[in-house]
Amino acid sequence: MADEVKTLSSQLAQDPDSLVFLRLGELLRLKRQLDAAHRVALTGLARHPHLADAHDLYARILADKRDYERAFDEWDMALRIAPNHVGALKGLAFLYFKVGDVGQALAHLEAAQLHAPDDPGVIQALALAQGGGVGVGGAAGAGAGGGPANPSPSIARAAAAAAEELAPAAPPLEEARVFAGLEGAQEGLLLLDAKGQVLGGALKDPQGRDVTDAVAAYLAGVSHEAARTAKLLGLGQWTGVAAEGKLGHVHLTPPAGDALLLVVRERSVPMGRLAIIAQRAAAAARRWLELDR
Amino acid sequence: MTTRAVEAWTLEPLVKFVKEAGARLVLVMTSAGQVMAQHGFSRAVDVMSAAALGAAIIASTDEIARQLSQPPFAALNHQGERHGIFLGSVITGRGKLVVLAVYDLETSSLGLVQLFFEQLTGDLQAASPKEGVSKQVLAADFERELSDSLNTLFGR
Amino acid sequence: MTAPAAYGPALDLVTRVRGVRGAMLVSGEDGIVVAEQLMEGIKGGAVAALAASLAARLRRAIDAAGVGPTLFWHLQCDKGGLLVVPTPSGVLIVAVAEPDVNVGLVRLELLRAAEAVG
Repeated sequence: MADEVKTLSSQLAQDPDSLVFLRLGELLRLKRQLDAAHRVALTGLARHPHLADAHDLYARILADKRDYERAFDEWDMALRIAPNHVGALKGLAFLYFKVGDVGQALAHLEAAQLHAPDDPGVIQALALAQGGGVGVGGAAGAGAGGGPANPSPSIARAAAAAAEELAPAAPPLEEARVFAGLEGAQEGLLLLDAKGQVLGGALKDPQGRDVTDAVAAYLAGVSHEAARTAKLLGLGQWTGVAAEGKLGHVHLTPPAGDALLLVVRERSVPMGRLAIIAQRAAAAARRWLELDR
Repeated sequence: MTTRAVEAWTLEPLVKFVKEAGARLVLVMTSAGQVMAQHGFSRAVDVMSAAALGAAIIASTDEIARQLSQPPFAALNHQGERHGIFLGSVITGRGKLVVLAVYDLETSSLGLVQLFFEQLTGDLQAASPKEGVSKQVLAADFERELSDSLNTLFGR
Repeated sequence: MTAPAAYGPALDLVTRVRGVRGAMLVSGEDGIVVAEQLMEGIKGGAVAALAASLAARLRRAIDAAGVGPTLFWHLQCDKGGLLVVPTPSGVLIVAVAEPDVNVGLVRLELLRAAEAVG
């Protein structure tokens, strides 16, 4: 494999406009040389910005790096360029799986099957799903998502757990800050305890003013309120609140115990993508809360 | 804010009601105005006034209902600018009890108070001793009983 | 706000979506039911009180965050959810839904119902 990398690298050096970067990038990704793969994919994308396969490759690398938000963008871009791109459909199915949106995951897998009826990854995922089991075909980073046929909560949970297991290991916390390394950590992410005390992150309004303390104060008790509402109405456990404002989108999640995580983004960020960002931030918050115990 | 009860069995249901409904002041009393428990009052004189007025309102509306040949009103609500006042009654093993709740419109609502009042009635009915209606307060004992109750309600 | 006769058709828009177990108009300030179309077993009074209470808390927090007035919110739970659209008159259009409901479709119908109600 090392020889192949060498060969492909020299081919690319001789002809920088060739599409060999696709093979080289994928090879490096499979060898877990993610930074090198990232550089190759970005160089290729710069030369071929309208090539769906280039966006698909870049998305797979980003997914391996657990940058699901940008991976979503790249697969979304690939689908805009080539609406039937099977890799992008599978990739988005995987991401929807990860946020527990089994319906969307299945819809993307079924669309992929329409255009690639013989794709073994899609067949395996759907077959497993139709058998009632958890179907996640292929490596997570390859975007080979699968899904259960019946989108019941228990299967969704099992599917999400399987997807989580297949995904690359989470990077260690860089420092004590809860959202270190996450996009928007200082203006759009906030972790609070039940009393509205800030545990991490910060929030700025669209004018750039720090509104962390005001929002935290108003959110005190929301976790209890949401849990009470869910319990008294027989809705089970609350898993999140998605809200749409005139100028932005908001997602609230209970990462652990009574803690509350708030993610705020402008309206151009779709709600589905916001859920993915929230899931990543919630995972970071959970790790941080466990370490802090 | 403290919650105190003259009869211990009223305490837990009242504490739960205050927490869930977000009520600011609550009185649980007999229809004669004898206070059994309170939350949020800081002065005995306020409890006495509120109990007397609450009992009088219930008596008046019961009489209106009687004259209209209707069953007594289940509950009354007055919505102010910043606060709401809710009056409801419940039949327990100790007879008819009246609950007066004052709630802040910023932090609670009529809907929440109604919802958790239903729970309070169930809890009071379940917790009340079944040995019968509490004895009528006799005129001779009234002042002493009132004084005892107020002492208990304000932890003296 | 329009006359109560328009409430039924407005709620019909929401309840016809598959997976919706009921729809209601709730007074946002009081948390009490204005109109309802609910399946058996759903307690309208409880839904109204709790939805209005959560709406009030969320509204304050979302205002403070500077993302403007709330147009729609969704309480997601493992056995279902509440989907809510506030109207300018202070009425909340509330849907009680099963977990696998098409959220996008319910949102659209809630927004249409909100327009009808005013």
